[in-house]
Amino acid sequence: MTTYIIRRTLMAFPLLFLITIISFGMMQMAPGDPTALMMDPMIKQENLAAYKEAYGLNDNVIVQYVRWLGNMIQGNFGESLIRQGVPVSELILARLPNTLILMIVSSVIAFLISIPLGVISATKRNSLTDYSITFVSFLGVATPNFWIGLVLIMFMSVHMGWFPTGGVATLGEPFSIWDRIHHLILPAFVLATADMAGLTRYSRSSMLEVLRQDYIRTAKANGFKNGTVIFKHGLRNGLIPIITIIGLMLPSFIGGSVIIESIFAWPGIGLLFVEAAFQRDYPVIMAVVVIAASLVVIGNLIADILYAIVDPRIEY
Amino acid sequence: MLKNRFLLFIVFMFVLIVTACSDGTVEESSNEANSEKEDNQTENTQTEEKSGGSLVLGTTAAPTLFNPYYSTDTSSSTIEGFIFSGLVTVDTDFNPEGDLAESWEFTEDGLRWTFHLRENVKWHDGADFTADDVVFSYGIPLHEDYIGPRGLPFEIIEEINKVDDYTVEFVLSEPYAPFITITAQFEVLPKHILGEVPIAELGMNKFNTKEPIGTGPFKFQQWKEGEYIELIANEDYYLGAPKLDSIIYKIVPDMNTLMAQLQVGDINLTGISPQYIETAKKLEEQGKVVVTSGPSNAFEYIGYNLRNELFQDKLVRQALTHAIDKEAIVQAILDGSGVVAHGPGSPANWAFNPDVPKFEYDPEEAKRKLKEAGWEPNKDGILEKDGNKFEFVLKTTSANEIRQQIAEVAQQQLSEIGIKTSIELLEWSAYVEQTSPPLWNFDAIVAGWSIGSDPDPTWFWHTSEIENGLNYNGFSNERVDELLSENTKISDIEERKRIIAEADAIVAEEQPDTFLYYVEGSLANAPNLHGPKFNAANTYYKIHEWYID
Repeated sequence: MTTYIIRRTLMAFPLLFLITIISFGMMQMAPGDPTALMMDPMIKQENLAAYKEAYGLNDNVIVQYVRWLGNMIQGNFGESLIRQGVPVSELILARLPNTLILMIVSSVIAFLISIPLGVISATKRNSLTDYSITFVSFLGVATPNFWIGLVLIMFMSVHMGWFPTGGVATLGEPFSIWDRIHHLILPAFVLATADMAGLTRYSRSSMLEVLRQDYIRTAKANGFKNGTVIFKHGLRNGLIPIITIIGLMLPSFIGGSVIIESIFAWPGIGLLFVEAAFQRDYPVIMAVVVIAASLVVIGNLIADILYAIVDPRIEY
Repeated sequence: MLKNRFLLFIVFMFVLIVTACSDGTVEESSNEANSEKEDNQTENTQTEEKSGGSLVLGTTAAPTLFNPYYSTDTSSSTIEGFIFSGLVTVDTDFNPEGDLAESWEFTEDGLRWTFHLRENVKWHDGADFTADDVVFSYGIPLHEDYIGPRGLPFEIIEEINKVDDYTVEFVLSEPYAPFITITAQFEVLPKHILGEVPIAELGMNKFNTKEPIGTGPFKFQQWKEGEYIELIANEDYYLGAPKLDSIIYKIVPDMNTLMAQLQVGDINLTGISPQYIETAKKLEEQGKVVVTSGPSNAFEYIGYNLRNELFQDKLVRQALTHAIDKEAIVQAILDGSGVVAHGPGSPANWAFNPDVPKFEYDPEEAKRKLKEAGWEPNKDGILEKDGNKFEFVLKTTSANEIRQQIAEVAQQQLSEIGIKTSIELLEWSAYVEQTSPPLWNFDAIVAGWSIGSDPDPTWFWHTSEIENGLNYNGFSNERVDELLSENTKISDIEERKRIIAEADAIVAEEQPDTFLYYVEGSLANAPNLHGPKFNAANTYYKIHEWYID
């Protein structure tokens, strides 16, 4: 098991390396550069050239990449090209916690809602309940996240005044946990909806699979209560495939957070990434890519490890 | 069964939310919640009355850095305006008015400008403001090591001399009327803090993002990454302590959310783009905000690349303008918040010439002119000349929804006179690269221009601006060149007005662009915030006198 974990961890490095090469190349291929934002009647060509020279934008892409990689390995993400002089790590550190909190709370919400719904759906297969859950799930898949977000802001925040309209905390108030949670509920819920539908469907089919097994029938025949059979014998086994989904859900959470953070004015790295992408702030783009990619790789790793823990049959 | 009913209830609620938000029927049922909120607000403002309260300014774009010699975006320059002061400022009609300079004069040849500075002005850290600060600041873009986007306007400055501690003299290489607006636009930086920093590194200095020190009405307090910038009142401000306690410059990236925040009072001032003017007006009817509007100093146009053979004939360009129904664009896309344009410029500034040749919407006239220019419809109804079809690509940026819609309308209307266009949407950075020198890779673009505090049109139409400048069209006209070269040399405003008017009229006759409309700007503020009123020249004019009651 330990060797497996070590091996998997080591394998993650070439993968990340590859991701950085591809991202760097794609980023450089995109037309325009950071100076596009400076297009202004007042710019002098000499000054523009000096700017490009000072930030190494005139160098060959490979030279730029190697320089970036060298710095990155030493833990230096460089400085923003747009917010001149501000270290990228400072921007990331200010924002990453916000994104992580949002993602963690969202996934907890997604699991807490979806798995029970999936189990109910499976146990009451083909009933009105099942159909309703299925219907809502599909509705969830079909509805864009940003739209749900805006509708909830209009209804819950503006009309009812139950929740704040955005941000991480109330302006000018001292830090309070309750205030933070209050701000977190809507964005976390909306981000969760992206995966809730899929997750419900997964747990439903996984449960159905399990409930068909002989040992469930045996358990029932032994006279165990229905609840015990479903939750103790059924759910535990049914959950195994769901765990792999955690890893798969991460990318969609990161992708989703870009939209959610923008709608809810949530200062996370998704929002930072969008800004940086439009401004061609190369060092910031690359830093976010590295972090997002690492999160996904780590997520997959954790899923694999968990898989081994819940299913003793799996050996490495 | 109970569970089933619960589910049905959820579905029902969901449908209710959806419909409620589309027609606003929930409003009545939620009046209670709202009035409760209002009560809270009045309570808050009552306690805040004696202290003045916070201006919470909502914006979708985050600033970059606070140094006028390095930043180019609107958010940054707005905040710079709060922290720093310039030698002069402009009032709401673009008239220069003393700020750090109490008065100024220039010699008859327009070459020597002397500014008499205000005494007893303190920097936010308590140091005295003197002529040294001015000499230092204006020397930055002139320095050979300067790496920044603001070099061009300073090129005409030959010398900056400190006459005494409170008098500065500028010597220009040629008479330049817009000089006074340069002194309005570029605020003064503290020499005692930045004087020792190598100029090449000034753009990256932490002064710009962590601890800007100015002489303006508000002091920098903190920049909460991705959330807001907080400024607090400068009690020692030389024009009197601001009535507001603080300014929170709040970043709300999504415009819909921004409108929601305005509605509940989380922000109390924001600019309104034309797409949201209808929403803002509705909020005004409900008494939640006050909306003020007026012409902003900008125009929108469809620009033709005159390097392309299709557009080299003036008749063709006039015909294209005849084919486009500008009034329909203003009504349908902007909800009427714009004024149909016939030439360059803007009614917001003093140089505007309303009396230019007009090519009104008239598809028949368009067809006639095209025929005169040799374009005949082929059997498919597409115009052809010498076997070439009249087709071109209309480029614009996906960052601007209004321009996208204009492109669609133009495509439709041009097809009615037999011209085939395809639309290409480009993301902003890509768009800039494609349309600007040295690529000029476009046939036609839907674009807009904001005019500076000085209405000098040299940037857009002078032949010398083709190679590296903003004359993307490649427009060149001898008489226009003459007039424009002359315009900046004249200090008499009436005389300049006449010259610019003549140049504008020639440009309008030539139609290098189909001038679409003059943009209207709007500002929405909470009813209890007193002071803001939309104007194109200086939105935050005398902000130290604004207050909340």
